[in-house]
Amino acid sequence: MLKGLTAGMSAIAVLAAMPAAAQDSARIEWKTFQSPAIEGNLEGNSAERGAYVVTPPGYDENPGKSYPVVYFLHGYWATPQMYQEMAKFEEAVQGAAEAGNELIMVMPDGYSKLKGGFYSSSPTVGDYESFVARDLVQWVDANYRTIPGSESRGLAGHSMGGYGTIRIAMKNPGTFSSIYMMSACCLDPMVLDAETAARIEAMSEADIANAEFGELAPVSTLVTWSPDPTDEGFLKADTGLREDGTLDPLVNYRLAANSPLVLLPQYLPALNGLEAFAMDIGDQDFLLEGNRLFREELDRFGVKYDFELYEGDHGNRIAERIRTEVLPFFANHLDAE
Amino acid sequence: MKPFLAIAGALAALLASPASAQNITAPDATVPEGVIVEHPMVHGASLEGNLEGNSADREVMVVLPPSYATSPERHYPVVYYMHGFAISGRDFYDYMQVPTAVAQNAAAGREFIVVVPDALTKMGGSMYSSSVTTGDFRKFIAHDLVAFIDSHYRTIPTREGRGLAGHSMGGYGTWVIGMTHPDPFNAIWAQSACCVSPRNETVESAAAMSEVPIEGVDQSGFGMRAGLASMVAWSPNPQKPPFHADFPLGEDGKVDPMVIAKWAGNSPLAMVAGHTGALKSFAAIGADVGDKDGLVTNDTLIHQELENFGIAHEWAIYDGDHVNKIGQRFSEVVLPFMAEHLDMGE
Repeated sequence: MLKGLTAGMSAIAVLAAMPAAAQDSARIEWKTFQSPAIEGNLEGNSAERGAYVVTPPGYDENPGKSYPVVYFLHGYWATPQMYQEMAKFEEAVQGAAEAGNELIMVMPDGYSKLKGGFYSSSPTVGDYESFVARDLVQWVDANYRTIPGSESRGLAGHSMGGYGTIRIAMKNPGTFSSIYMMSACCLDPMVLDAETAARIEAMSEADIANAEFGELAPVSTLVTWSPDPTDEGFLKADTGLREDGTLDPLVNYRLAANSPLVLLPQYLPALNGLEAFAMDIGDQDFLLEGNRLFREELDRFGVKYDFELYEGDHGNRIAERIRTEVLPFFANHLDAE
Repeated sequence: MKPFLAIAGALAALLASPASAQNITAPDATVPEGVIVEHPMVHGASLEGNLEGNSADREVMVVLPPSYATSPERHYPVVYYMHGFAISGRDFYDYMQVPTAVAQNAAAGREFIVVVPDALTKMGGSMYSSSVTTGDFRKFIAHDLVAFIDSHYRTIPTREGRGLAGHSMGGYGTWVIGMTHPDPFNAIWAQSACCVSPRNETVESAAAMSEVPIEGVDQSGFGMRAGLASMVAWSPNPQKPPFHADFPLGEDGKVDPMVIAKWAGNSPLAMVAGHTGALKSFAAIGADVGDKDGLVTNDTLIHQELENFGIAHEWAIYDGDHVNKIGQRFSEVVLPFMAEHLDMGE
């Protein structure tokens, strides 16, 4: 304070609006806000949603400055805290700023009762798609000094978050101008068989709570993409299993209607309207085939995008590539002041 | 295939000479005194560059209510009314006697502008879908057309001032445009919607589609032509001339599950679960179908799906077939429903 006083009255005014310490380095904060899109879901996922917000160094000292925003969507089976532990987003934002690319980075909480809402719209799970594309963007623009236009807004995500990235870009044109899909899951349509449907029907709440990754994933996608508020069981999903043991094909049609590969032809104008579009995946990733099929489809329709196949698996180089690829990509394509 | 074949039966009576004129035509509509009809050509930027060569300039029938000329300050709600398969916007407007519907409602104090766009394509209908092959007719209706009408007529240019309705393929269009572009419209009504359930094929039916040469589409029959129109709308492929679409019969002689999946991704019944937010955003939804319409089972399915998701809607099965009560019900049911749920101005 003493230093501020000696610097004169105008400095006091600036300091009064600032936290006690100057912001020498990028700062990460966990914030919560109310998301109407999540309200009323049948799983009881909280509409009081959290998000990490990382502001770049100098954010406090430059109250007249506004920044582009990169939104990052985390993967399935993980909380934003787990991704923060893995990627240390404040370090990534710090590095970008040191390279001359000052930006705000935001990672919303996409976790749900069954460990991931797939950034989709489901009465059972909640409308995570609008939570991100509408409620979160509005809240960030209202509470941070963003450049509040699509040309300064980017969307990226890993795995389930890569799926969310392409889904949200297709269905919400004009919100984000550039997107980056990392090791995206769920691109080609999932197909449920009667046997899996029967297994899911037989699961108790305890079974769900203790399920392994491979056991739970088809349940999580089912409650997201084939929700059923009239289901008498606790899942509030339609497995499509009929009394004679066969499967109602409508279930797989619903799953198909949430597959980016299936949706692509309908949403080409949204993708062709992007300023920049990138995707990457490791050469040892178990999701290679879905990504290959999706690229084939993009190529068929002449969609422009950057692609990189790198040496790695599904998760071992994500933190590194956020720094070396993702943030530089957005620095290239998002408008700064 | 079945729903379309059923429609074909109902429509056969309408066809003057099916072999030469594959599209349905109708004598000019009666225009009651005071009603003004204009038919501007509306350019659709969303339709430019489509691979079928469908014109991006579409004739649009604009029916203005009797007080439009005498009350130069007054603004009106607009109901967009989408036609079915194998008919032009103008012929649908004629057949359904839209000017009479506008006059009847005006006489009861409900003054609307009714707009009937043309979505007739090379294959017989756009399916109001977004396809590089046919054009992005969803955006044409929800964006290009709405912007044109609001900038050329005294409309109430807000969501509250707009309704969307359609018959058969236009009923389908009402569902899919409603779900994917809800913001422009406050209330929607689907009459005898086609194509509600995902379309599937057997090896035989898929093989039959592959046999139709592009120059033989017009003579291939209503059901076949509707199938091909659905295909170019829902599984377009710019690399596959001359249809620029993926056929359901794969190279291995089996039905290609990816093509069926893409069609399913355009099915209102499969889409409801993922679009409950859009559907709940409407002030009101309505749907109806005749009890002698081959589509009654299918349309009942989407009614039930809406019920399952707690989406409020009006629903009626009435005494009628696929076509015989449509114009009457547009006047007596759909427009009064819109009057209840739109901003009627003064």
